[in-house]
Amino acid sequence: MVGIGILAVLAIAGAIGVITARQPVHSALYLVGNLLALALLYLDLQAEFLAVAQVIVYAGAIMVLFLFVVTLLTAGKEDREPPEDLAGQRAWAGIVSIIVGIVLVALAIKYPGAELKVALPANFGNLQGIGRLLWGPDFIYLVGIAIMLLSAALGVLVLNPPKRERQIERQLAAAARAREAAAGGGAVPKAESTNGKEGQGA
Amino acid sequence: MIYINWVVALAAILFTVGAIGVMFRRNPLIMFMASEMMWNAAALVFIAYAREFHDMNGQVMAFLIMGTAAAEVGIGLAIIVSVYHKRHRLDIDEISRMKG
Repeated sequence: MVGIGILAVLAIAGAIGVITARQPVHSALYLVGNLLALALLYLDLQAEFLAVAQVIVYAGAIMVLFLFVVTLLTAGKEDREPPEDLAGQRAWAGIVSIIVGIVLVALAIKYPGAELKVALPANFGNLQGIGRLLWGPDFIYLVGIAIMLLSAALGVLVLNPPKRERQIERQLAAAARAREAAAGGGAVPKAESTNGKEGQGA
Repeated sequence: MIYINWVVALAAILFTVGAIGVMFRRNPLIMFMASEMMWNAAALVFIAYAREFHDMNGQVMAFLIMGTAAAEVGIGLAIIVSVYHKRHRLDIDEISRMKG
């Protein structure tokens, strides 16, 4: 119970750090702390596979992607937020979201769950159990995730296309012209050599 | 032992903090991280109830949430990068105008 309390405090502290940090890098590091605390909490809820997947997928892959984009976009920028265009909305947003939060927490505490001490079925939460579900009755979700990830990868390629072919052709043509001038034309190398001699004489 | 409603209350707190972050911050990267926290709160509720009802379908749903979040992060960061290349400012109001 004490361990769960510590994990909960760590998760909430990380969450508050994410939304109050001034620089996106600090937010990303707080989010890593939040995700690791949640992964330990999953482990305590007998979700072994998801705890490991959380560490590998979230704290590993997704946060590295975030850090790449943060370093690409915010290196050497001032960390001040830009001036407000829509003044007045912020106060309403705060009031509404705090009311929603109080209602959610009150609802969550109001209906007490049973104390968890009943014996669990075999293979609960480990790789065998979740694999039997994912390749058995819940196969459609696995296919859904596969299609979703593939279309996301295609979408990223459409949004940020690689360098245009014409640009590459132009660069290749310029390089070929420079090579021809160096090999065939007599005037340009001579001029260069005389320049070199003058430079040496001076 | 854990009582499941305290775990659900923790998920509610995390969801609310994420919602406050999405509404208050103007930096799209930080808004994105706050929305990741909201995804995680939903996954935590699924896992908690999977534990309570001894039904692993909740964990399959949490796995689905993880995959969806990965796809969403890829698309969202691509949008942020392409908007930044056009406007050279990290401000969510740049996207609200929706002009190329």
